[in-house]
Amino acid sequence: MEDVQVVAALIRRCIAGDAAAWEEIVRRYHRRIYNLCYRFAGSGEDAQDLTQEVFIKMYKTLNTYDDERAAFMTWITSITRNLLVDHFRKTKHDRMTDSLDVPVSEHEDAMPLSHRMEDHSPAPDARLQSRETGESVHHALQKLSPELREAVILRDLQDMDYREIATVLRVPEGTVKSRINRGRAELARLLERTYKQVM
Amino acid sequence: MSGETNKAIECSEFDRLLMEALDGALSGDKLKRFHAHARACSACGPLFAEIDAGRRLLRSLNEVEPPAHLVNNILAATAGLDTARLELPGRTVALQPAWLDRLENWVAPVLAPVFALVRQPRFAMSFGMAFFSLSMALNLAGVRLGDVHHVDLRPSALVRQYHMTAGRVVKYYENIRFVYEIESRVRDLKRATTPAEPAPRPEHQRKDNNTSQHEPKPERNSSWGDNQPMLASGRQDRLVTIACASRRLV
Ligand SMILES: [Zn+2]
Repeated sequence: MEDVQVVAALIRRCIAGDAAAWEEIVRRYHRRIYNLCYRFAGSGEDAQDLTQEVFIKMYKTLNTYDDERAAFMTWITSITRNLLVDHFRKTKHDRMTDSLDVPVSEHEDAMPLSHRMEDHSPAPDARLQSRETGESVHHALQKLSPELREAVILRDLQDMDYREIATVLRVPEGTVKSRINRGRAELARLLERTYKQVM
Repeated sequence: MSGETNKAIECSEFDRLLMEALDGALSGDKLKRFHAHARACSACGPLFAEIDAGRRLLRSLNEVEPPAHLVNNILAATAGLDTARLELPGRTVALQPAWLDRLENWVAPVLAPVFALVRQPRFAMSFGMAFFSLSMALNLAGVRLGDVHHVDLRPSALVRQYHMTAGRVVKYYENIRFVYEIESRVRDLKRATTPAEPAPRPEHQRKDNNTSQHEPKPERNSSWGDNQPMLASGRQDRLVTIACASRRLV
């Protein structure tokens, strides 16, 4: 997935002040980071802010990256995860007080919590149904505890292996696996009616 | 628990094989025995079904497309920073005056009065407010806001963005990405004023004026409905002041 040599060269050029190299890094990784932030934080607006914060942090700490210790992708995922944890702590209170105020996002699979799948009858159209499933999965994901949410996102959406996830979350691999499965099961329970229809 | 044959696996073995089964790494006899236990065991079967369903649902999610302007915003946000420097806590605060200085140089001929106003302590204007005022001044100068494609700077969008909770407003306007948007706007201003610029269409002006004047719609939730009138009146008072100032001097 990432060409170690190419990335190492990009980082070196970047530290030397090569703006084109930095732009290349941003172009390579912004989509992945944005998706991670979007799935964790829930809204496209927060995901934009967070993605930008991730790159600012990355830019300032690029010289601390050690390719002997971790793949670049693992390193930037750690930065992202740490910012997401901070974000969660900061917004926890807000979200508890207005939990129905999930911002209307620009993404097609986002919808207000008040329109969650549980309140819907099955859509007759198969395409519509799969879109609604996407929306309801995204919102059910927001209801998982952050520990379970990050574990399933890294595994099932970002396709990281257990060892990489263990590095990012700084917990043993056994804990990672248990959280992934608990997260999956919890999500399935939240969407029970939906998944019985589609599976 | 199942005890069908002596080859059948126990719950503990099932647990151990669970991840491999989900990852598609089990095959042959092992896989058969795994599924046989799932069918026979009232504890393991439903658990496996749930985990598997959750996994499929998660993997059915498509990657979302980041906004088109995200890369540019990131590049703009990191342009003024030195890489690999120690993080300074007051970063955005420290950056703002420098950016304002640069901006002032670019637009000085047209908008100096606005900046003079913005910088007066008695107005105690935030950077965000300064931006908002600048937008309005440009608007009155006839720059067509609808022409800016990559960022949503239509008055209605600005009104929407402005009407968030107070904390949110501060965070949003402190965000360095606004600097990028100002740059875009200044480029548009230059483009609009240097060549043979067609006179602003009256209907367009009317539209913009309307949008900036009318009460913001309660677009989303009601939880911050109480704040709206206060924010709205504060905004409009200041805008009127600035709009008058810029109109007089343009
Ligand atoms: Zn069992």
